[in-house]
Amino acid sequence: MSDSILVVGGGFSGLTAAVEAAEMGYNVYLIEKTSYLGGRVAQLNKYFPKLCPPTCGLEINFRRLKTNPKITYYTLAQVESITGSAGNFQVKVKVNPRGTTPACTNCKPGEAVATTEVPNEFNFGMDTRKALFMPHPMAFPNQCVLDTNGVPAQEIEAIKSAMPQGQVDPGQQPETIDLNVGAIVMASGWNPYDATKMDNLCFGKFDNIVTNMMMERMASPAGPTGGKILRISDKEAPKTIGFVQCAGSRDENHLPYCSYICCMATLKQITYIREQLPDTEVYVFYIDIRAPGRKYENFYKKVKGDDKVHFIKGKVAEIKEGSAPGSVVLVAEDTIGGGKVQQEVDMAVLATGMQPSGAMEKVPGVEYDENGFVLEKDGIFPCGCSKRPIDVVSSAQSATAAAMKAVQTVRRAG
Amino acid sequence: MAEFRKIEPDLSFIKGVMEAGGDTVNRCYQCATCSVICPLSTDESPFPRKEMLWAQWGMAPRIAGDADVWLCHQCGDCTAYCPRGARPGDVLGAIRANAIRYYAKPKAMADMMGNAGGVIGTVIASMFIVLIVAFFWSQYTGEAFPFPEGKVVYHKFLSVVPIDAMYLSLAAFVGLVSIKGIMDFWADVSKGSGMVSYTGTGPRPALGALLGKYLWPAIVEILSHARFKKCGQTLERARGHLWVLWAFLILFFVTNYVFIAADIFGMHTPMPQYHPVKILANIGAIMLIGGIWMIRTMRSQKTKEGVLKSSSQDWILIWLIFAVGITGIGSELFRLIGIKGLAYPTYVLHLGCVATLFLALPYSKFAHLLYRSTAYVYQLWDKDVRAGKAGFGLEKPVVPVTPEEG
Repeated sequence: MSDSILVVGGGFSGLTAAVEAAEMGYNVYLIEKTSYLGGRVAQLNKYFPKLCPPTCGLEINFRRLKTNPKITYYTLAQVESITGSAGNFQVKVKVNPRGTTPACTNCKPGEAVATTEVPNEFNFGMDTRKALFMPHPMAFPNQCVLDTNGVPAQEIEAIKSAMPQGQVDPGQQPETIDLNVGAIVMASGWNPYDATKMDNLCFGKFDNIVTNMMMERMASPAGPTGGKILRISDKEAPKTIGFVQCAGSRDENHLPYCSYICCMATLKQITYIREQLPDTEVYVFYIDIRAPGRKYENFYKKVKGDDKVHFIKGKVAEIKEGSAPGSVVLVAEDTIGGGKVQQEVDMAVLATGMQPSGAMEKVPGVEYDENGFVLEKDGIFPCGCSKRPIDVVSSAQSATAAAMKAVQTVRRAG
Repeated sequence: MAEFRKIEPDLSFIKGVMEAGGDTVNRCYQCATCSVICPLSTDESPFPRKEMLWAQWGMAPRIAGDADVWLCHQCGDCTAYCPRGARPGDVLGAIRANAIRYYAKPKAMADMMGNAGGVIGTVIASMFIVLIVAFFWSQYTGEAFPFPEGKVVYHKFLSVVPIDAMYLSLAAFVGLVSIKGIMDFWADVSKGSGMVSYTGTGPRPALGALLGKYLWPAIVEILSHARFKKCGQTLERARGHLWVLWAFLILFFVTNYVFIAADIFGMHTPMPQYHPVKILANIGAIMLIGGIWMIRTMRSQKTKEGVLKSSSQDWILIWLIFAVGITGIGSELFRLIGIKGLAYPTYVLHLGCVATLFLALPYSKFAHLLYRSTAYVYQLWDKDVRAGKAGFGLEKPVVPVTPEEG
């Protein structure tokens, strides 16, 4: 029997669940797969409901976490298996080496001597990073990561000697920890659906087709373009931008469900464009605009009232090369106006949906539905986007609810 | 303020479409992926998204007035990309099956030709008629019945005169029914596309223009199958279909040659094997069997793969054409080998199958020949009218009316 709680996933949901449970007085282990906490929210430029930058919600949770001795967190860690039952789970966690010590908070000297460049996953490959890097400027924990994968030993050695003594340690080994917990909160989150799977949308074939998450990184001041919305091909500001809604969502061949957030994400990104590029014309191709709730509905009305923004009811089912260099043509049927629309745009944004992490990798001992969403079972409580596609606000609410259920479980067992 | 119009769904129409293989129609949520994916859909009048909506809402008259339904070759591209499994390609196939019945007069004939039992019954009935006529013909010629003396010569069993008497009258009937169907269809699509001139009457192409400017280019396109070949998922089906079409053309020519040569100039069949027309006839027969077998194989494979659905209508036509081809070749071979006991029965079966195929033209899936060709012609005409090039005196191009009931 254990009265500790395990939270799998350190994104907005996992963070919330961890601090809520800890503040109720329970020991919490927080396991995060990547090298930083904050998950997908950390990658956003701004987020609903207040359209504030991610730091505004994450900072407070980091502070709650740092000041609470009941929380033990592991980054670069993955749950390998879960056995046992409610009140008494045995969990194996593999913690991968970070290659640095906590003192290593400034990678500059190491970066300067590093030569190998790899695509930066945090920015969806729109720029590169070195073997020694800070995941992103606001990363928590604020500690560099050494990724030796595919990097020559000499280069690693050079990085090590360029950094202050003892900060870089390539010799660190992965370790496995065994945890005994009474309840588990699954907050394993989501991945953007792989846009290359929609062959008719030609993502990856034409440079100036990006995904909505790439758009977030571009608009972010800390992103690869320093916050400027630019075309990838020529680094020019686009004069026309087309949004392709339901790119993979509500589609039996891809994600059969509605991803919930993509409509609002597009409307939000239109505000980025309107602020930054006031002369740019925006086209939104949609099946239905889903703006749930009064606040979102009002937001939609505001964007719809803008005469630079054009809504066309009809799904883009074909993207082809445009006549101007680098531009693409979005083809859809205008189901209200009639006829096919062939809209040439300088840049296209695919509003790709959310795929739960469980679709790609499953934790043994956890139950999933056919789409990879976590199913609740005795002692294991899903929250956030591991449970269903939802926005940040609802994720936080579902995380608090899951924390409450986890607390009930350990109390009942104890 | 916008005008509101109450739609009265024709529930029996929806049911008819669902029963004919379009049972997935209600899954459509109007995203219009299909209209973009379709390689044949036009920019001005994309399909099949609008047809899916009309079918869901039971707007039978609106669909009857829609030529686009016939521009689809059921390649299955839209079905493959449909995000909801609504299978627009199959729904359009079902709509076409319903349209054929809708334009068929009398309906009872369409019902009979619409099921395998009815088709087999028609073959048997036709064989009976052929036998009765042959019996009376033998009384007139003095030949033995049912197996004339000597070598197998079908001419002795039933010469071209009684055959023509039977088949020409059948062809005349089928022709009239077909023309009636085509004219009704033309009137409906004219109305459906909003083609009404300022005088209140629908514009009509002059006969010369109809034949030269619209029918001829349509025929040229059909003969090359230029459009069918654009269909992605079932590209190979077009080849078989092209073979069958050319086989029918060849056999039509051969039959008419024999008709004229025998009935008017008194030629006696059979023609020798080295006769150019006989050679052509044999090529036609082989192309017919080969082509229909390609279609059968492809349809069966694509149905298994789930690319398209196949209804009994599809199979009935395929097997009927196959039966015509195989009995035709069979009659010839048994005649050449000289097996009387097989040759004459096969010949009677062949005549029964041919008569049934004739009858099937306006009443079964075979009618796609009529309506798809008409739709091709109509599309060319419609385009000219809208561009103001039809030359019938409209002051401004016709603007399509918004889809409405009625």
